[in-house]
Amino acid sequence: MLRGLGDLEATIMDWLWAHRRPASVKDVLEDLRRERDIAYTTVMTVMDKLHTKGLLKRHLAGRAYLYETVASKEAYTADLMRESLASSGNQAATLVHFLERLTPEEAAALQAALQVYPPKEHRP
Amino acid sequence: MLLALYAALGVVALPRLLSQVAWFERAPRLAIAMWQAACASVVVSALLAALAVAVPASVLGHGLADFFEACATLLSHGVPFTSASARIALLLAGVLVVRITYCAACVLLSARRERRRHAEMLAIVGRHDSRLGAMVVDYDECMAYCLPGRHGLPVITTGALRTLTSAQTAAVLAHEHAHLRGRHHLVLAAVRTLVRAFSGAPLFARASSEIARLVELLADDVAARGHPRVHIAAALVGLATGRVPDFALGAGGETALVRVRRLLDPVEPLRQRERLVGILTIGVLLAGPAAVAAMPGVRAFLAHYCESFIF
Repeated sequence: MLRGLGDLEATIMDWLWAHRRPASVKDVLEDLRRERDIAYTTVMTVMDKLHTKGLLKRHLAGRAYLYETVASKEAYTADLMRESLASSGNQAATLVHFLERLTPEEAAALQAALQVYPPKEHRP
Repeated sequence: MLLALYAALGVVALPRLLSQVAWFERAPRLAIAMWQAACASVVVSALLAALAVAVPASVLGHGLADFFEACATLLSHGVPFTSASARIALLLAGVLVVRITYCAACVLLSARRERRRHAEMLAIVGRHDSRLGAMVVDYDECMAYCLPGRHGLPVITTGALRTLTSAQTAAVLAHEHAHLRGRHHLVLAAVRTLVRAFSGAPLFARASSEIARLVELLADDVAARGHPRVHIAAALVGLATGRVPDFALGAGGETALVRVRRLLDPVEPLRQRERLVGILTIGVLLAGPAAVAAMPGVRAFLAHYCESFIF
């Protein structure tokens, strides 16, 4: 179920990531229309917004723009996750993580601590 | 004068004093309140010290209404303050207030801007899992955190979901929900405002790092109400060891160890008396500066009424 423009952004990005080729608004629209009723201008607006945000690049082909993703989904995810780790220091952007980074030695010490009290039925 | 001295001393001495309190890990909520009270007390005494210099005690003595009226006439008629020291003191107080307000706005706005951008990206690369009540992100590294705000949500990676059992995942998410419900990001924003406003002050730096640590302990405790402590501990270890140790920063290790030990060896809660002492200390920290500042005023107030009895 899709709600709001935020979800449409995700749907369009997913479509472009899955197809791995430049696509026009019409290409995306045809596929989306199979699942629901949606206006051309809506899709166009959202793709334009994604371009403004720097997620899509585009070039004119004939009379319409061809859009393609700037980076892979994996690259975006990695960036976002790295950012969420970095921002715990000073900005209150994302709240402190469940756990900060550990050195291997510290991780080993943690595991040793848990070995003394093994959670019998729920061993990781 | 006493207040100014206290503010100056408190900035340096309070962090040392508070660091020595042994029961902080047993009662994180009270400990957070204690650090907040210490910060507030220093800031308020500095302000009151300036005001006490600027406003003669006799004005205060005639009741608050008179005091405000006096202020209003001063402002509207532009009557210059009698002494240079009064003007300087008022100026200092004003600078203090403006600086804190400005820094609070900066901290809150930049945090909100970043959160919003992060949430937007999260909506694109992640998916909302209504069964977990969290955003799930396809990522190999084990991570769990939460994005605070009006539509705050815990975020967990598929790597973490693979590593943890479902009971452990539930415990992690309960911990993150505790952060969100407790509005811990605002608690942190408040103290970070002070760090930003007075970057050299040891009290605020220490309070900031301690509160950041204590909110984790608090969230653990809240999560432990609904989930066995051993699951939270196991989840902690799972997240700590199941990850790719690529860009490791050692600073967090100590907190993690403290947390695991705490979870496995449930510490006894504070006894009634210790709790009472804690609450009283907070009371003194908060009310002390006001009481000291009011002293000359009260004296003048009494003198004023005695006079009216006589005549």
